[in-house]
Amino acid sequence: MLSVKGLRAKVGEKEILKGLDLEIGRGEIHAIMGPNGSGKSTLAHVLSGRDGYTVTAGSVTFDGQDLLALAPEERAHLGLFLAFQYPVELPGVNNTYFLKAALNAIRAARGQPELDAVAFMRLMKERLKVLHLDDSLLKRPVNFGFSGGEKKRNEIFQMAMLEPKLAILDETDSGLDIDALRIVADGVNALRNPERSVILVTHYQRLLDYIQPDYVHVLARGQIIRSGGKSLALELEEKGYGWLGIEEAA
Amino acid sequence: MSAVSGFEQWLAPAEAAASGLQWLATRRGEARARVQGQGVPGTKQEAWRYTSLTRLLEQGFSAVAESVPLQPEAIEHLLIPGLEAWRVVLVNGRFAPELSALAGLPAGVRIGSLAEILRTDPDAVKDRLNTIAGPDQPLFSALNTAGLDDGLVVLMDAGTALARPVELIHLSVGSETPRVAQPRHLVVLAAGTQAHLIERYVTLTYALYCTNSVLEVTLGAGAVLEHQRIQLESPDAFHLAALYVRLGAASRYRCTNIAVGASWARTDLTVRFSGEHAACDLQGLYLVGERQLLDVHLDVDHCVPRCVSREYFKGILYGKGRAVFDGCVHVARDAQQTDAAMTNRNLILCEGAEVDTKPQLEIEADDVKCSHGTTVGQLDPEQLFYLRSRGIGAALARRMLCLGFAGEILDALTPEALRMQVTQEVGRRLEQAT
Repeated sequence: MLSVKGLRAKVGEKEILKGLDLEIGRGEIHAIMGPNGSGKSTLAHVLSGRDGYTVTAGSVTFDGQDLLALAPEERAHLGLFLAFQYPVELPGVNNTYFLKAALNAIRAARGQPELDAVAFMRLMKERLKVLHLDDSLLKRPVNFGFSGGEKKRNEIFQMAMLEPKLAILDETDSGLDIDALRIVADGVNALRNPERSVILVTHYQRLLDYIQPDYVHVLARGQIIRSGGKSLALELEEKGYGWLGIEEAA
Repeated sequence: MSAVSGFEQWLAPAEAAASGLQWLATRRGEARARVQGQGVPGTKQEAWRYTSLTRLLEQGFSAVAESVPLQPEAIEHLLIPGLEAWRVVLVNGRFAPELSALAGLPAGVRIGSLAEILRTDPDAVKDRLNTIAGPDQPLFSALNTAGLDDGLVVLMDAGTALARPVELIHLSVGSETPRVAQPRHLVVLAAGTQAHLIERYVTLTYALYCTNSVLEVTLGAGAVLEHQRIQLESPDAFHLAALYVRLGAASRYRCTNIAVGASWARTDLTVRFSGEHAACDLQGLYLVGERQLLDVHLDVDHCVPRCVSREYFKGILYGKGRAVFDGCVHVARDAQQTDAAMTNRNLILCEGAEVDTKPQLEIEADDVKCSHGTTVGQLDPEQLFYLRSRGIGAALARRMLCLGFAGEILDALTPEALRMQVTQEVGRRLEQAT
């Protein structure tokens, strides 16, 4: 469903992605691991359409469409979702109102009728239950004053509401204690289905104790330098990145 | 009337309150002399530094005496759904009893038309009218006083209470010649009373007109006034508002000022503490777009000790909109333990928009807690991207962030139906901006 071919991208004059290839099939979970500065977050941002990156070569197709030609909201309409490494605070924007606007924008773009307030509340309650979350976050402004764990949970909750075909979790495990990590991982697992693909971008093997990936890729110096199964992550855990001839950035 | 250059027609017709009251004639006459003495302020005078009166004068506004008969159905769509209020409706500055709702007021409370009270019981207002505004009135207040005529009066005796809000609807109806209305309002709350005043400036049709209003408020010891002022004038209109507030000991005053309409709107808010332990909370939101100019001037005088004031104004500017925020908090030498904080935050949506912001503290006392701060910024690209990454289109995303910014002020509006109505109107105007 996602096919990245020879992707090169730079920030300013600095090339970060240097010919990256990645194939993701329907329902698969891929972990992308790599040391700091290897280009992991850049990949997540380029796929989601964030400003500030220039793609100089290569292609990205998503369900047969040229993803790079689309605005961020159009990518979301196609079913792409980015769980942010640093979820953004939106003071004054109510979480429930925000989710309803997002869901209805996506539905409208797909030619589906908008959900009314009652149907929306019903859906929200149901998804909260699936994720074992309470509704305390919903009445507050989006991420505003949330703890790190609450922000990450809110990302997973948005994912549950928007039902993407491909979710990219950008270092969702960073800064979480074990309990928060488990809640987030349980959420991702609860949302796992044969139609939904997931990219887990992570620095540590830790997250993969809780979410079983089908494939593991090592990203270094702007390229995927090795791909394998779950065992690759364990090998990295044991030997560190140095084993693959990569220097950890300071 | 030679030297009142440009403003002769503002004072022309006979007053509705032609009452033969000597004291009233004297006050009008003094104000008239003051207008003549001042001439037209130029941009060299500090209070007018950022704005020019030329455009106002070019319109050739004149006062019109005749009343505009309206059926209650004509204003139904302007009412706040479900709001039960003591309602005074002024049409082009004149009391419209057939549109108002004042039956069954409790004893000791008077709510009604200034012109009527001047006719029937002038002594009820004699000691209050024009005394809070004082003798040194700037041009437009002096003009209002010189033409002093009709408006809202709220008088509450000690020990009285109001179960409903007082709602003033000032309705402007366009006429063939551009006209000016100069409503004059007086609110006097005796010790220990509480009231909620909703002032709304609205129009039936898009038209060119000018509203020059003055409101005088006196709060007795321990009195509480929740005041909401919503300005939704026609896009072509001129709107001038002067508010003079005097706060007795331990009184509480909160004013939420929403300014959305008019091609030029100016608000002068003057607050003077006259007793200790009083508190005032002045907050506002202005939305200024293409061909709009908006001025907010605050003058808060802490002349007695141990009072608290908060000044918090937020602005959203777009198109070639231009705003001026000029806030001054003065703390007199004896006003020890004053607690004052003034903040002005602005959101600029386009390059052509502009704001001049000038918060000032003048502190003569040495044991005080005072601060001021000002920000001028743009929408945060990170926030925009976050919304768009969730499928929300760029225009709606910008509007949501603007409403989030404005919400901090709009959320103070009560009842909920009023908050919703004003929020929707702000959202509607933002559609042009985003």
